[in-house]
Amino acid sequence: FRLNIDGLLVCFPYDYIYPEQYSYMLELKRTLDAKGHGVLEMPSGTGKTISLLSLIVAYQKAYPLEVTKLIYCSRTVPEIEKVVEELKKLMDYYTKQTEAKNDFLALALSSRKNLCIHPEVSSLRFGKEVDGKCHSLTASYIRAQHHCNPSQPVCQFYEEFDAVGRQVLIPPGIYNLNDLKDFGRRKGWCPYFLARSSILHANIVVYSYNYLLDPKIADLVSKELAKKSVVVFDEAHNIDNVCIDSMSVNITRRTLDRCQTNVETLQNTISRIKETDAAKLQEEYRRLVEGLTEANVARETDMYLSNPVLPDEILQEAVPGSIRTAEHFVGFMKRFLEYLKARLRIHHVVQESTPQFLKDIYEKVCIDRKPLRFCAERLRSLLRTLEIADIADFSAITLISHFATLVSTYNKGFTIIIEPFEDRTPTIANPVLHFSCMDPSIAIKPVFGRFQSVIITSGTLSPLDIYPRILDFRPVTVASFTMTLARTCLCPLIVGRGNDQVAMTSKFETREDFAVIRNYGNLLLEMSAIVPDGIVAFFTSYIYMENIVASWYEQGILENIQRNKLIFIETQDAAETSMALMLNKNKISCKRLFISFSFQPPVHHYGRAVIVFGVPYVYTQSRILKARLEYLRDQFQIRENDFLTFDAMRHAAQCVGRAIRGKTDYGLMIFADKRYARADKRGKLPRWIQEHLTDGSLNLTIDETVQLGKHFLRQMAQPFRQEDQLGLSLLTLEQLQSEDMLQKIAQIAQQL
Amino acid sequence: MDEEPERAKRWEGGYERTWEVLKEDESGSLKATVEDILFQAKRKRVFEGHGQVRLGMMRHLFVIIDSSRSMEDQDLKPNRLTSTLKLMEFFVEEYFDQNPISQIGIITTKNKRAEKLTDLAGNPKKHLAALKKVVDSTCVGEPSLYNSLNCVALPSGTEIKEILVIFSSLTTCDPANIYELIKTLNALKIRVSVIGLSAEVRVCTILTRETGGSYNVILDESHFKELLMLHVKPPPASSSSECSLIRMGFPQHVIASMSDQDAKPSFSMSHLDSTGEPGLTLGGYYCPQCRAKYTELPVECKVCGLTLVSAPHLARSFHHLFPLEAFQETPLEEYEGERFCEACQGELKDKSVFTCLACKKVFCVECDLFIHDTLHCCPGCMQTDRTS
Repeated sequence: FRLNIDGLLVCFPYDYIYPEQYSYMLELKRTLDAKGHGVLEMPSGTGKTISLLSLIVAYQKAYPLEVTKLIYCSRTVPEIEKVVEELKKLMDYYTKQTEAKNDFLALALSSRKNLCIHPEVSSLRFGKEVDGKCHSLTASYIRAQHHCNPSQPVCQFYEEFDAVGRQVLIPPGIYNLNDLKDFGRRKGWCPYFLARSSILHANIVVYSYNYLLDPKIADLVSKELAKKSVVVFDEAHNIDNVCIDSMSVNITRRTLDRCQTNVETLQNTISRIKETDAAKLQEEYRRLVEGLTEANVARETDMYLSNPVLPDEILQEAVPGSIRTAEHFVGFMKRFLEYLKARLRIHHVVQESTPQFLKDIYEKVCIDRKPLRFCAERLRSLLRTLEIADIADFSAITLISHFATLVSTYNKGFTIIIEPFEDRTPTIANPVLHFSCMDPSIAIKPVFGRFQSVIITSGTLSPLDIYPRILDFRPVTVASFTMTLARTCLCPLIVGRGNDQVAMTSKFETREDFAVIRNYGNLLLEMSAIVPDGIVAFFTSYIYMENIVASWYEQGILENIQRNKLIFIETQDAAETSMALMLNKNKISCKRLFISFSFQPPVHHYGRAVIVFGVPYVYTQSRILKARLEYLRDQFQIRENDFLTFDAMRHAAQCVGRAIRGKTDYGLMIFADKRYARADKRGKLPRWIQEHLTDGSLNLTIDETVQLGKHFLRQMAQPFRQEDQLGLSLLTLEQLQSEDMLQKIAQIAQQL
Repeated sequence: MDEEPERAKRWEGGYERTWEVLKEDESGSLKATVEDILFQAKRKRVFEGHGQVRLGMMRHLFVIIDSSRSMEDQDLKPNRLTSTLKLMEFFVEEYFDQNPISQIGIITTKNKRAEKLTDLAGNPKKHLAALKKVVDSTCVGEPSLYNSLNCVALPSGTEIKEILVIFSSLTTCDPANIYELIKTLNALKIRVSVIGLSAEVRVCTILTRETGGSYNVILDESHFKELLMLHVKPPPASSSSECSLIRMGFPQHVIASMSDQDAKPSFSMSHLDSTGEPGLTLGGYYCPQCRAKYTELPVECKVCGLTLVSAPHLARSFHHLFPLEAFQETPLEEYEGERFCEACQGELKDKSVFTCLACKKVFCVECDLFIHDTLHCCPGCMQTDRTS
C-alpha cells in the first residue's frame, strides 16, 4: 500500500507493515533530506532491506535530481541476491500501481566468477583463475594481436559486447546475477563487462563492500559513480574490519619468492621488447614525463572517487627520473625486494612506524621516499606497456608495489610489525611482515567525502556512538530501533554459575579450570535435553573450542550430549563458509548441534537456542591488535578496554542474533559467562536484546536456566497466528494512521 | 535394598518457579489471582461453534504414547508417564462416553520400537486394563515416530482416519525418511495430531501441517488435560469423504436364567482371539444377521462384519450434531434479577452468570459446565417445552 512518510509518498509492496519499519523510514527520510550520513540499528528479521529500498526508490522517483543513484553494498552473494529479490517485488508492485512502464534500471554486480558465461573460463573453480583467464582473452593488446593473427583466441562475448553492447543501453528492469547471465547469453554479450558499464547509468546498484572500499577494485569499478548517490552499507557491524583489511598488506617469504620470479620475468620481457620494439618503451617514457596530469584533471573536476592508494601529491608530479625507464624501475624493485628479504631475516619481533621504516630503507639501500610513492602507478604502467596477459601471475609484485606506495604515503595510521615466527609455534621460522592499517577511516574516507548520503545499518550496531568515532565521520542521524512484539519471542539469559555455584567464565585465568569446563559441559548437556531441533554453540576462539571439546570427550559429556543431538563441529577452513563468513573469519568458530530427526542430513533447521560460551574477546596478545588499540587511544580517545568490550559484545550480539529470523520465530539466547551480567557489558548489547533482559535473568545457575528455558519454549509453542500480531506489531494502513499508534511509533526509535 | 535411586523426593527434583503464575493484587494479597485462576480453569472450554459441519461420527482413533526415556521427567507429577497414563484413562472413558460407536487403539513407542498395546476395539475396559499395566514399565531409549506411524498406517484397508501422538521426546529414531511416510499418510487421508510434552519440534510441525492435524504443546497438567479433551469431540469430516450408509445391527439382549433348561452357557465371539478370561456366559447380544453372541456392545461382528450397536449409543452421539448453543456470559454486577441459579437453586456468587439464549434462564458457572458437557440440553428449555 501507499504510505505518507513525512510528505513523501512511499509504495510499500506488502499488505502489512511493522511499526518499526515505519519509524525506520522516517529516520531515513530525514537523513536523505539533510544530505548527511546516518547510522541506524534495527533488529534482524524486521524487514530492514525492504524499508530501505522502498523509501529510497520513492525518494528517487520524487526527487530525481536530488538522488540519482542508490548503491547498496552487501557482504555475500546470497545477500546480494536477496536484496535484488526484494527489489523485484517492489518494482512489480510499482508497475501494478501505476501501470506505467518501469523505467528503473537496477542490477547486481559480482566478480567474474559469478558472472562469466564463457564456456571454458566459467568452468574454472577459483576466482583468481577466472580473472586471469578472462584477462588473457580480453586485454586490449591480445585483441589487437587477434586482429592480425586470428588464431589468437579471444572471448567472443567480450568482442560482441565491445562491438555492439557499449553503445546500447541495457533495457530498464531489475537484473540479478542470473538475469544478467541470461541477458548476456541471449545477446551474446559478456555479462560482467555489461554490468560494469551499466552501473554508471543504473538507478540502483547492488554489489559487495569491496567494490567501494577496497582501493584497488574501487578504482576500476566505482570511481565514476555519481556524487549524488546514496550509499547503503547493510550488515555493517564489521565495516571497520573490512576497511582495515582492504588497506593492510601481509608479506611472507613466499610472497617475496614469487615476487622475485615476477621481477625476473619482467626483466626478460623488457630485454626482449627492447630488441624488437624499443619504440614502445620510449613512448611509455614520454608519457611518464608528462606525468599523471590526466588523472589530476579528472580529480579536480570531481569526476572520480578519489583513491587512497593514489595520493594527491603524486598526481601533481611526474614520475621521478630514477624509476622512469623500465630497466631502472626493475632494478629499483629488485633493491626494494632485497631489502625486504633482509628485513624478514630476523630472529626477534620488530615493530616500527612508517617514518622509521622509510628512514631505515634510506640508510640501508638508499631508496628515497618519493620513488616509492610512485611504485604502484609505475608498475601498472609497465605491465600495460609490456602487454603481459596473465595479470594473476603478477599478484605478488603488485602487492609489494602497493605496499611501497602506502608505506611512503601515510605517516599515521599504519604500523609495520615483523614477526619471525607465529606465537603458537615458536620453533618454526615463518617470518611475516604485517603492514597493518589501524585506522579504518582511511579506506572509507573517500566514500564519505564523495557521496551525498551514506547509511550504515545492521541488526547489531550497539553501542552506536563508537562507529562515527572510529570511522571518523559526522552522522546526522544515529538511531536504534526496538522490536515491537506481540509476544516476547526472545529470551536472553545470562548464566553465571554452575549448579555447584562455581562461577562460569572464560576469563583467561580460569578458562582451563576443570570445574568451569565441566559446568559448561553440563549447561550444554542440560540444554540439549530441553531444546528442540538445533542448538548453536559459540566459543570465544577456535583453540578454546578444541580444548573444551577434547576435555568434554574425556569426561564423557560429549557422549551424553550425543544421546540428545547430533553434533556438528565446524572447522576453521571454509567448508562451512556461510556461517563462518557471516561471523567474520576473526575469532569465532562455531559448533552446531543438530537434532537427529531422521538420518537424512537436515535441510533447514531452526536453531532454537544459541549459547555463547564466554565473552568473545579478540586475542589480546596479538601485536597488531595492540598497535591498533594504542592508535585508537591516541587518536580517537577510545580506551583499550572500551574498544575490546565493544568488539566482544558486537560479536556476541551477532551470535545470538542468529537465534531469531523474524517476528514469528522464537529462540533462547544464552550468555554463559558471569561477566555478561556486569553493566558495562550488558549496556553494550543492542537495545532490542537489552529490553528483554530482566534482573531476574542475570547470573542464573544451570538449573534455573533450564527451568526458565523450558517454560519459555512451552509458552512459545502455543499456537500463534497472524491475527494476534495485527495491531500490535503488524499494522495495516488504517491502524498505522491512527493517532495513538503514531505516538507509539515515535517511541520506537531512540536517538542518540 | 533397591539399588535404583528413587528420584521421588521433592528436594531431589529440579529447580522450579512455582510462584511464577501468581501475582499480587493492589492490596498485596494473592487471593484475587488464585480465585481468578480457578475461575479461568472452570471456564476454559472452547466453544467452537462449528455450525453446520459434517462430523465424522464413527471414529477410528489410534493413540501413540511415547514412553521413552524423556517420559521420566518429573515436570508433571509424579512423572510424565504416570500423569499421561492417568489422563489417558480419563480420555478413554470420556471418548467412549461421547463417541459410543467409535473405536480406539493404543500404541506405545520406546527403545526405537513401536509396540501395539491394544488393537482397535470399541470396549473401554480392555484399554483401561492395558493402560494400567503400562504404568509399571520402565521408560528407556528413544521413541520412533516412523515405526509407530508405520505400525498404524501399514495394515491399510482399515478405515483409520485419525492418529493422536503424545510425544515427549525431542528426538526420534527413524529407520527411513519420515517425510516420505508423511506423504503416504497424507495420501491415505489420515489426520495426525500431536500433543507435545516438552517443546515444539519441527518434524511434528510438518507432520501435523501436512496431514491437517493440530499440534499443541502443553503448559502444565491442566492444560494437558484440556488439550486431550479437545480430541474427544469428533473432528469435522473432510469434505472429500463420501457419504455412505452404514449397515448396523441392533441386537436384542437375551437374558437367560440358570433355571431355564434350554439355555446353555456359551462363549462370546469376542473371546475368540483374546487370551484373557474366556468365560462361559448364559445370556448376551445376538447378531441379528448371523446369531453370533457377544457380551458387550458396540462391536463389529466377527462373523459377518455387521456393526452392532444399541439404540442408546446412537442417541448419545446425536448431540454432537446439534450441540447446545453457548450461553451468554454477563458479569454479575450487570445482571439484574433474582440471584438464583435455575438449575441448582444456589445463590449466584461467581463473577459471571450465564443466560440461555432460548429460554432466558440464568445459570451459574458449575451448572453451565454441567449442562454443556454432560446434559447437552438446557433444563430451562425442557421445562418450558413441557409446560407449553
